[in-house]
Amino acid sequence: MKWRFLDLSTTDPAFNLAAEEYVFSELSRDYAYFMLWQNRSSVIIGRHQNTAAEVNETFIREKGIKVVRRLSGGGAVYHDLGNLNFTFIRDETSSRLDLGIFCEPVAAALRELGAPAEVNGRNDITVGGCKISGNAQYVREGRVMHHGTLLFSADLGVAAQALRPSARKLRSKGVASVRSRMATLKEYLPKDTTLQDFKQLLLDKLFAGQAMEHYEWSEADLSAIEKLRLERYDTPRWNYGQSPPCDMNFVDYIPLCGTVEVRLSVRRGLIGKAEFLGDFFTHKDLAPLCAAFIGQTPNEEGFRTALEQADPSEFIGGLSREALLGLLLS
Amino acid sequence: MNYPVELLYSKTHEWVKEEDGVVVIGISDFAQDALGDLVFINLPEVGDEVVCGEAFGDVESVKAVSDLICPVSGTVCAVNEELLDSPEMLNEEPYDAWIIKVENETEREELLSAAAYEAFCAEEG
Repeated sequence: MKWRFLDLSTTDPAFNLAAEEYVFSELSRDYAYFMLWQNRSSVIIGRHQNTAAEVNETFIREKGIKVVRRLSGGGAVYHDLGNLNFTFIRDETSSRLDLGIFCEPVAAALRELGAPAEVNGRNDITVGGCKISGNAQYVREGRVMHHGTLLFSADLGVAAQALRPSARKLRSKGVASVRSRMATLKEYLPKDTTLQDFKQLLLDKLFAGQAMEHYEWSEADLSAIEKLRLERYDTPRWNYGQSPPCDMNFVDYIPLCGTVEVRLSVRRGLIGKAEFLGDFFTHKDLAPLCAAFIGQTPNEEGFRTALEQADPSEFIGGLSREALLGLLLS
Repeated sequence: MNYPVELLYSKTHEWVKEEDGVVVIGISDFAQDALGDLVFINLPEVGDEVVCGEAFGDVESVKAVSDLICPVSGTVCAVNEELLDSPEMLNEEPYDAWIIKVENETEREELLSAAAYEAFCAEEG
Protein backbone atom coordinates (compact mmCIF):
# COMPACT_ATOMS: atom_id res chain seq x y z
CA MET A 1 0.00 0.00 0.00
CA LYS A 2 1.28 3.42 -0.95
CA TRP A 3 2.01 5.96 1.82
CA ARG A 4 0.84 9.52 1.83
CA PHE A 5 2.40 12.06 4.15
CA LEU A 6 0.25 14.82 5.58
CA ASP A 7 1.61 17.91 7.23
CA LEU A 8 -0.44 19.84 9.77
CA SER A 9 0.67 23.40 10.19
CA THR A 10 -1.78 24.42 12.91
CA THR A 11 -1.05 23.79 16.57
CA ASP A 12 -4.71 23.85 17.63
CA PRO A 13 -5.33 20.45 19.29
CA ALA A 14 -9.05 20.45 18.41
CA PHE A 15 -8.28 21.02 14.72
CA ASN A 16 -5.50 18.43 14.67
CA LEU A 17 -7.62 15.73 16.29
CA ALA A 18 -10.44 16.57 13.89
CA ALA A 19 -7.95 16.17 11.02
CA GLU A 20 -7.03 12.68 12.23
CA GLU A 21 -10.67 11.62 12.32
CA TYR A 22 -11.25 13.13 8.88
CA VAL A 23 -8.32 11.27 7.32
CA PHE A 24 -9.46 8.06 9.01
CA SER A 25 -13.10 8.30 7.92
CA GLU A 26 -13.09 10.28 4.69
CA LEU A 27 -9.84 9.91 2.73
CA SER A 28 -9.40 7.02 0.30
CA ARG A 29 -8.72 3.63 1.87
CA ASP A 30 -6.46 2.82 -1.10
CA TYR A 31 -3.66 4.62 0.73
CA ALA A 32 -1.93 4.46 4.09
CA TYR A 33 -1.37 7.80 5.80
CA PHE A 34 1.29 9.24 8.04
CA MET A 35 1.10 12.58 9.82
CA LEU A 36 3.44 14.59 12.01
CA TRP A 37 1.90 17.36 14.06
CA GLN A 38 2.16 19.45 17.19
CA ASN A 39 -0.27 20.83 19.71
CA ARG A 40 0.19 24.00 21.67
CA SER A 41 -0.23 23.72 25.42
CA SER A 42 -3.11 21.28 25.99
CA VAL A 43 -4.24 18.15 27.81
CA ILE A 44 -5.34 15.35 25.50
CA ILE A 45 -7.51 12.89 27.39
CA GLY A 46 -8.33 9.28 26.53
CA ARG A 47 -11.67 8.37 24.98
CA HIS A 48 -13.09 6.86 28.16
CA GLN A 49 -11.68 9.12 30.81
CA ASN A 50 -13.39 11.40 33.24
CA THR A 51 -12.07 14.85 32.46
CA ALA A 52 -12.67 16.01 36.03
CA ALA A 53 -10.63 13.09 37.35
CA GLU A 54 -7.66 13.89 35.13
CA VAL A 55 -7.08 17.63 35.02
CA ASN A 56 -6.53 20.46 37.44
CA GLU A 57 -9.38 22.63 36.25
CA THR A 58 -8.23 25.78 38.07
CA PHE A 59 -4.65 25.52 36.80
CA ILE A 60 -5.54 24.86 33.18
CA ARG A 61 -8.08 27.67 33.12
CA GLU A 62 -5.49 30.09 34.51
CA LYS A 63 -2.90 29.01 31.94
CA GLY A 64 -5.32 28.81 29.00
CA ILE A 65 -4.59 25.11 28.51
CA LYS A 66 -7.22 23.47 26.34
CA VAL A 67 -8.61 20.00 27.13
CA VAL A 68 -9.48 17.86 24.13
CA ARG A 69 -10.73 14.27 24.11
CA ARG A 70 -9.23 11.93 21.52
CA LEU A 71 -10.83 8.90 19.82
CA SER A 72 -8.24 6.43 21.08
CA GLY A 73 -7.93 4.76 24.46
CA GLY A 74 -5.43 5.19 27.27
CA GLY A 75 -4.61 8.01 29.65
CA ALA A 76 -4.30 11.77 29.75
CA VAL A 77 -1.21 13.37 28.22
CA TYR A 78 0.08 16.92 28.44
CA HIS A 79 1.15 18.34 25.05
CA ASP A 80 3.07 21.47 24.15
CA LEU A 81 5.47 22.54 21.43
CA GLY A 82 8.26 20.41 22.90
CA ASN A 83 6.25 17.37 21.86
CA LEU A 84 5.93 15.90 18.37
CA ASN A 85 2.95 13.67 17.52
CA PHE A 86 2.84 11.01 14.85
CA THR A 87 -0.19 9.22 13.38
CA PHE A 88 -0.36 6.13 11.18
CA ILE A 89 -3.69 5.36 9.50
CA ARG A 90 -4.03 2.21 7.45
CA ASP A 91 -6.08 -0.95 6.93
CA GLU A 92 -5.03 -4.11 8.71
CA THR A 93 -6.06 -7.56 7.49
CA SER A 94 -5.96 -9.05 10.99
CA SER A 95 -8.35 -7.83 13.68
CA ARG A 96 -5.85 -8.85 16.35
CA LEU A 97 -4.92 -5.68 18.19
CA ASP A 98 -1.23 -4.95 18.03
CA LEU A 99 0.35 -1.65 19.03
CA GLY A 100 3.83 -3.10 18.60
CA ILE A 101 3.71 -3.19 14.80
CA PHE A 102 3.67 0.62 14.86
CA CYS A 103 5.80 1.25 17.96
CA GLU A 104 8.69 -0.96 16.83
CA PRO A 105 9.54 0.93 13.61
CA VAL A 106 9.41 4.24 15.51
CA ALA A 107 11.75 2.86 18.18
CA ALA A 108 14.07 1.54 15.43
CA ALA A 109 14.16 4.99 13.79
CA LEU A 110 14.99 6.59 17.14
CA ARG A 111 17.84 4.11 17.66
CA GLU A 112 19.25 5.04 14.27
CA LEU A 113 19.15 8.66 15.39
CA GLY A 114 21.14 7.82 18.51
CA ALA A 115 18.52 7.28 21.24
CA PRO A 116 18.61 3.73 22.69
CA ALA A 117 14.83 3.32 22.41
CA GLU A 118 12.86 0.23 23.43
CA VAL A 119 9.18 -0.72 23.47
CA ASN A 120 7.94 -1.81 26.90
CA GLY A 121 5.03 -4.05 27.90
CA ARG A 122 2.60 -1.12 27.98
CA ASN A 123 3.58 -0.17 24.44
CA ASP A 124 5.37 2.93 25.63
CA ILE A 125 8.64 3.74 23.93
CA THR A 126 11.30 4.20 26.59
CA VAL A 127 14.88 5.34 26.74
CA GLY A 128 16.93 4.24 29.73
CA GLY A 129 13.72 3.02 31.41
CA CYS A 130 11.98 6.41 31.13
CA LYS A 131 9.04 7.02 28.85
CA ILE A 132 9.52 9.25 25.82
CA SER A 133 6.50 8.13 23.80
CA GLY A 134 2.94 7.07 24.67
CA ASN A 135 0.88 5.23 22.06
CA ALA A 136 -2.81 4.50 21.51
CA GLN A 137 -5.20 3.25 18.84
CA TYR A 138 -8.68 3.67 17.44
CA VAL A 139 -10.03 0.82 15.34
CA ARG A 140 -13.09 0.57 13.14
CA GLU A 141 -13.99 -2.07 10.56
CA GLY A 142 -10.42 -3.10 9.85
CA ARG A 143 -9.02 0.43 9.68
CA VAL A 144 -6.51 1.37 12.36
CA MET A 145 -5.41 4.76 13.59
CA HIS A 146 -2.27 4.48 15.67
CA HIS A 147 -0.87 7.63 17.18
CA GLY A 148 1.82 8.49 19.66
CA THR A 149 3.68 11.31 21.32
CA LEU A 150 7.42 11.92 21.11
CA LEU A 151 8.73 14.06 23.91
CA PHE A 152 11.54 16.12 22.41
CA SER A 153 11.92 18.66 25.17
CA ALA A 154 9.54 19.56 27.96
CA ASP A 155 8.57 21.60 30.93
CA LEU A 156 7.67 18.60 33.09
CA GLY A 157 6.57 20.87 35.93
CA VAL A 158 3.66 22.32 33.94
CA ALA A 159 2.66 18.82 32.80
CA ALA A 160 2.60 17.56 36.39
CA GLN A 161 0.47 20.49 37.56
CA ALA A 162 -2.00 20.31 34.67
CA LEU A 163 -2.51 16.60 35.28
CA ARG A 164 -2.99 16.86 39.03
CA PRO A 165 -6.75 16.52 39.33
CA SER A 166 -8.62 18.84 41.64
CA ALA A 167 -11.51 16.38 42.00
CA ARG A 168 -9.63 13.78 43.99
CA LYS A 169 -12.76 12.47 45.65
CA LEU A 170 -14.08 11.06 42.44
CA ARG A 171 -14.83 7.39 41.97
CA SER A 172 -14.95 6.78 38.25
CA LYS A 173 -15.96 3.85 36.12
CA GLY A 174 -13.73 5.35 33.45
CA VAL A 175 -10.18 4.59 32.48
CA ALA A 176 -7.53 5.95 34.85
CA SER A 177 -4.14 7.28 33.76
CA VAL A 178 -0.92 5.52 34.63
CA ARG A 179 1.88 7.85 35.70
CA SER A 180 5.29 7.17 34.20
CA ARG A 181 8.74 8.62 34.66
CA MET A 182 9.47 10.73 31.61
CA ALA A 183 12.62 11.54 29.68
CA THR A 184 13.19 13.81 26.69
CA LEU A 185 14.75 12.84 23.37
CA LYS A 186 16.76 16.01 22.92
CA GLU A 187 19.46 14.86 25.33
CA TYR A 188 20.08 11.73 23.22
CA LEU A 189 20.34 13.50 19.87
CA PRO A 190 23.38 15.33 18.47
CA LYS A 191 23.83 18.74 20.10
CA ASP A 192 21.84 21.59 18.54
CA THR A 193 19.32 19.27 16.84
CA THR A 194 16.11 21.28 16.63
CA LEU A 195 12.64 19.79 16.69
CA GLN A 196 12.31 20.68 13.00
CA ASP A 197 15.53 18.77 12.22
CA PHE A 198 14.30 15.85 14.30
CA LYS A 199 10.99 15.78 12.41
CA GLN A 200 12.74 15.50 9.04
CA LEU A 201 15.25 12.92 10.30
CA LEU A 202 12.46 10.79 11.74
CA LEU A 203 10.52 10.90 8.50
CA ASP A 204 13.62 9.95 6.50
CA LYS A 205 14.45 7.01 8.77
CA LEU A 206 10.89 5.71 9.08
CA PHE A 207 10.19 5.63 5.37
CA ALA A 208 13.68 5.02 3.97
CA GLY A 209 13.34 3.18 0.66
CA GLN A 210 9.53 3.41 0.63
CA ALA A 211 7.48 5.37 -1.87
CA MET A 212 5.80 8.27 -0.09
CA GLU A 213 3.87 11.07 -1.68
CA HIS A 214 3.08 14.37 -0.07
CA TYR A 215 -0.65 14.93 0.21
CA GLU A 216 -1.86 18.49 -0.28
CA TRP A 217 -5.00 19.34 1.68
CA SER A 218 -7.80 20.59 -0.56
CA GLU A 219 -10.11 23.45 0.40
CA ALA A 220 -12.87 20.85 0.82
CA ASP A 221 -10.68 18.81 3.22
CA LEU A 222 -9.91 21.84 5.33
CA SER A 223 -13.48 23.02 5.58
CA ALA A 224 -14.71 19.52 6.50
CA ILE A 225 -12.06 19.34 9.24
CA GLU A 226 -13.05 22.77 10.49
CA LYS A 227 -16.68 21.61 10.65
CA LEU A 228 -15.67 18.55 12.66
CA ARG A 229 -13.63 20.75 14.99
CA LEU A 230 -16.61 23.00 15.66
CA GLU A 231 -19.11 20.17 16.00
CA ARG A 232 -17.04 17.82 18.13
CA TYR A 233 -13.49 18.54 19.21
CA ASP A 234 -14.04 22.09 20.38
CA THR A 235 -17.24 21.41 22.32
CA PRO A 236 -17.66 20.87 26.08
CA ARG A 237 -20.17 18.14 25.15
CA TRP A 238 -17.32 16.01 23.71
CA ASN A 239 -14.45 17.12 25.91
CA TYR A 240 -16.34 16.98 29.21
CA GLY A 241 -19.80 15.53 28.55
CA GLN A 242 -18.62 12.23 27.09
CA SER A 243 -17.08 11.23 30.41
CA PRO A 244 -18.09 7.80 31.74
CA PRO A 245 -20.46 7.62 34.72
CA CYS A 246 -18.87 8.44 38.07
CA ASP A 247 -19.70 9.18 41.69
CA MET A 248 -18.26 12.14 43.55
CA ASN A 249 -18.19 12.21 47.33
CA PHE A 250 -17.38 15.22 49.47
CA VAL A 251 -17.35 15.11 53.24
CA ASP A 252 -16.12 17.53 55.89
CA TYR A 253 -16.98 19.02 59.27
CA ILE A 254 -18.41 22.50 58.87
CA PRO A 255 -18.34 24.65 62.04
CA LEU A 256 -21.81 25.69 63.33
CA CYS A 257 -23.35 23.16 60.96
CA GLY A 258 -22.00 19.64 61.50
CA THR A 259 -20.58 16.91 59.35
CA VAL A 260 -21.84 17.30 55.81
CA GLU A 261 -21.52 14.67 53.13
CA VAL A 262 -22.51 15.41 49.55
CA ARG A 263 -22.86 12.57 47.04
CA LEU A 264 -23.15 13.37 43.34
CA SER A 265 -23.76 10.83 40.57
CA VAL A 266 -22.52 12.00 37.20
CA ARG A 267 -23.78 10.57 33.93
CA ARG A 268 -22.78 11.75 30.45
CA GLY A 269 -20.90 14.59 32.12
CA LEU A 270 -23.85 16.03 34.05
CA ILE A 271 -25.04 15.61 37.62
CA GLY A 272 -27.93 13.12 37.61
CA LYS A 273 -28.46 12.79 41.33
CA ALA A 274 -27.43 14.74 44.46
CA GLU A 275 -27.74 13.66 48.10
CA PHE A 276 -26.92 15.36 51.41
CA LEU A 277 -26.12 13.27 54.46
CA GLY A 278 -24.78 14.16 57.90
CA ASP A 279 -25.57 15.12 61.48
CA PHE A 280 -26.79 18.64 60.68
CA PHE A 281 -30.23 20.16 61.43
CA THR A 282 -32.60 20.57 58.53
CA HIS A 283 -35.11 23.41 58.29
CA LYS A 284 -37.18 21.77 55.57
CA ASP A 285 -37.25 19.01 52.96
CA LEU A 286 -33.93 18.90 51.08
CA ALA A 287 -35.47 17.89 47.73
CA PRO A 288 -35.37 21.39 46.15
CA LEU A 289 -31.71 21.80 47.19
CA CYS A 290 -30.82 18.44 45.63
CA ALA A 291 -32.85 19.28 42.52
CA ALA A 292 -30.85 22.48 41.96
CA PHE A 293 -27.77 20.35 41.23
CA ILE A 294 -29.44 18.08 38.69
CA GLY A 295 -28.35 18.73 35.12
CA GLN A 296 -25.36 20.89 36.15
CA THR A 297 -21.77 20.18 35.19
CA PRO A 298 -19.75 18.84 38.15
CA ASN A 299 -17.33 21.78 38.29
CA GLU A 300 -17.12 25.22 39.87
CA GLU A 301 -19.32 26.79 37.21
CA GLY A 302 -22.05 24.17 37.63
CA PHE A 303 -21.90 24.30 41.44
CA ARG A 304 -22.25 28.09 41.38
CA THR A 305 -25.28 27.88 39.08
CA ALA A 306 -26.91 25.35 41.42
CA LEU A 307 -26.24 27.56 44.43
CA GLU A 308 -27.83 30.54 42.70
CA GLN A 309 -31.02 28.49 42.43
CA ALA A 310 -31.05 27.30 46.02
CA ASP A 311 -29.53 28.79 49.17
CA PRO A 312 -28.35 25.84 51.30
CA SER A 313 -28.77 27.83 54.57
CA GLU A 314 -32.55 27.77 53.98
CA PHE A 315 -32.41 23.98 54.15
CA ILE A 316 -29.50 23.09 56.41
CA GLY A 317 -28.71 25.00 59.60
CA GLY A 318 -25.41 26.88 59.35
CA LEU A 319 -24.55 25.81 55.80
CA SER A 320 -23.85 28.96 53.83
CA ARG A 321 -23.37 29.07 50.07
CA GLU A 322 -19.66 29.77 50.61
CA ALA A 323 -19.25 26.83 52.99
CA LEU A 324 -20.94 24.40 50.63
CA LEU A 325 -18.98 25.67 47.62
CA GLY A 326 -15.80 25.35 49.68
CA LEU A 327 -16.66 21.74 50.46
CA LEU A 328 -17.43 20.91 46.80
CA LEU A 329 -14.17 22.47 45.62
CA SER A 330 -12.00 21.08 48.42
CA MET B 1 -12.32 -20.91 19.67
CA ASN B 2 -16.04 -21.34 20.17
CA TYR B 3 -18.66 -20.69 17.45
CA PRO B 4 -22.12 -21.69 18.78
CA VAL B 5 -24.28 -22.98 15.91
CA GLU B 6 -27.49 -21.35 17.16
CA LEU B 7 -26.08 -17.85 16.56
CA LEU B 8 -25.54 -15.74 13.45
CA TYR B 9 -22.43 -13.61 12.96
CA SER B 10 -21.38 -10.40 11.23
CA LYS B 11 -18.07 -9.87 9.44
CA THR B 12 -17.24 -7.23 12.06
CA HIS B 13 -17.41 -10.02 14.70
CA GLU B 14 -20.70 -9.36 16.45
CA TRP B 15 -23.06 -12.26 17.18
CA VAL B 16 -26.83 -12.06 16.81
CA LYS B 17 -29.68 -14.16 18.10
CA GLU B 18 -33.43 -13.72 18.08
CA GLU B 19 -35.40 -14.04 21.29
CA ASP B 20 -39.17 -13.43 21.22
CA GLY B 21 -38.97 -10.98 18.34
CA VAL B 22 -36.07 -9.09 19.94
CA VAL B 23 -32.55 -9.11 18.47
CA VAL B 24 -29.81 -9.82 21.02
CA ILE B 25 -26.29 -8.66 20.09
CA GLY B 26 -22.86 -9.42 21.56
CA ILE B 27 -19.27 -9.90 20.39
CA SER B 28 -17.82 -13.25 19.35
CA ASP B 29 -15.20 -15.34 21.09
CA PHE B 30 -12.86 -14.58 18.19
CA ALA B 31 -13.43 -10.83 18.72
CA GLN B 32 -12.77 -10.86 22.47
CA ASP B 33 -9.62 -12.91 21.91
CA ALA B 34 -8.35 -10.54 19.20
CA LEU B 35 -9.10 -7.48 21.34
CA GLY B 36 -7.45 -8.77 24.50
CA ASP B 37 -8.46 -7.78 28.04
CA LEU B 38 -11.30 -5.31 27.90
CA VAL B 39 -11.24 -2.49 30.43
CA PHE B 40 -14.26 -0.41 29.42
CA ILE B 41 -17.44 -0.55 27.38
CA ASN B 42 -19.42 2.41 26.10
CA LEU B 43 -23.08 1.48 25.68
CA PRO B 44 -26.05 3.19 24.06
CA GLU B 45 -29.15 3.94 26.14
CA VAL B 46 -32.57 2.32 26.00
CA GLY B 47 -34.61 4.15 23.38
CA ASP B 48 -31.60 5.04 21.19
CA GLU B 49 -31.94 4.24 17.49
CA VAL B 50 -29.19 1.99 16.12
CA VAL B 51 -28.34 1.80 12.44
CA CYS B 52 -27.10 -1.20 10.50
CA GLY B 53 -23.39 -0.75 9.68
CA GLU B 54 -22.87 2.08 12.17
CA ALA B 55 -21.27 2.06 15.61
CA PHE B 56 -23.61 1.32 18.53
CA GLY B 57 -20.91 1.52 21.17
CA ASP B 58 -17.23 0.82 21.64
CA VAL B 59 -14.87 -1.14 23.82
CA GLU B 60 -11.44 -0.29 25.17
CA SER B 61 -8.68 -2.82 25.57
CA VAL B 62 -5.51 -1.39 27.01
CA LYS B 63 -5.01 1.87 25.05
CA ALA B 64 -7.06 0.80 22.02
CA VAL B 65 -10.67 1.72 21.35
CA SER B 66 -12.64 -0.41 18.89
CA ASP B 67 -16.06 0.50 17.58
CA LEU B 68 -18.87 -2.04 17.86
CA ILE B 69 -20.75 -2.16 14.57
CA CYS B 70 -24.49 -2.79 14.64
CA PRO B 71 -25.65 -5.66 12.40
CA VAL B 72 -29.29 -4.46 12.46
CA SER B 73 -31.31 -1.24 12.49
CA GLY B 74 -33.94 -0.71 15.17
CA THR B 75 -34.54 0.64 18.66
CA VAL B 76 -32.50 -0.35 21.71
CA CYS B 77 -34.88 -1.94 24.24
CA ALA B 78 -32.31 -3.20 26.77
CA VAL B 79 -28.63 -2.73 27.55
CA ASN B 80 -26.51 -5.00 29.73
CA GLU B 81 -25.49 -2.50 32.41
CA GLU B 82 -23.55 -5.15 34.31
CA LEU B 83 -20.85 -4.77 31.66
CA LEU B 84 -20.21 -1.19 32.77
CA ASP B 85 -18.79 -2.46 36.05
CA SER B 86 -17.47 -5.74 34.68
CA PRO B 87 -16.32 -5.41 31.05
CA GLU B 88 -14.16 -8.51 31.63
CA MET B 89 -17.37 -10.56 31.34
CA LEU B 90 -17.03 -10.03 27.58
CA ASN B 91 -13.71 -11.86 27.70
CA GLU B 92 -14.84 -14.57 30.07
CA GLU B 93 -18.26 -15.47 28.65
CA PRO B 94 -18.68 -13.70 25.29
CA TYR B 95 -21.88 -15.56 24.45
CA ASP B 96 -23.56 -14.98 27.83
CA ALA B 97 -22.44 -11.36 28.05
CA TRP B 98 -24.98 -9.93 25.63
CA ILE B 99 -24.50 -6.19 25.00
CA ILE B 100 -27.79 -4.80 23.71
CA LYS B 101 -31.27 -5.95 22.69
CA VAL B 102 -32.95 -4.31 19.72
CA GLU B 103 -36.65 -4.21 18.86
CA ASN B 104 -38.58 -2.95 15.82
CA GLU B 105 -35.90 -4.26 13.48
CA THR B 106 -36.15 -2.56 10.10
CA GLU B 107 -32.97 -3.70 8.39
CA ARG B 108 -30.19 -6.20 8.86
CA GLU B 109 -26.91 -6.88 7.12
CA GLU B 110 -26.11 -10.23 5.59
CA LEU B 111 -25.14 -12.47 8.47
CA LEU B 112 -23.04 -15.63 8.47
CA SER B 113 -23.81 -19.07 9.88
CA ALA B 114 -21.44 -20.43 12.53
CA ALA B 115 -19.63 -22.56 9.94
CA ALA B 116 -19.27 -19.70 7.45
CA TYR B 117 -18.10 -17.35 10.21
CA GLU B 118 -15.54 -19.86 11.46
CA ALA B 119 -14.15 -20.11 7.91
CA PHE B 120 -14.12 -16.30 7.65
CA CYS B 121 -12.13 -16.03 10.90
CA ALA B 122 -9.71 -18.76 9.83
CA GLU B 123 -8.96 -16.78 6.68
CA GLU B 124 -8.32 -13.61 8.66
CA GLY B 125 -5.95 -15.42 11.01
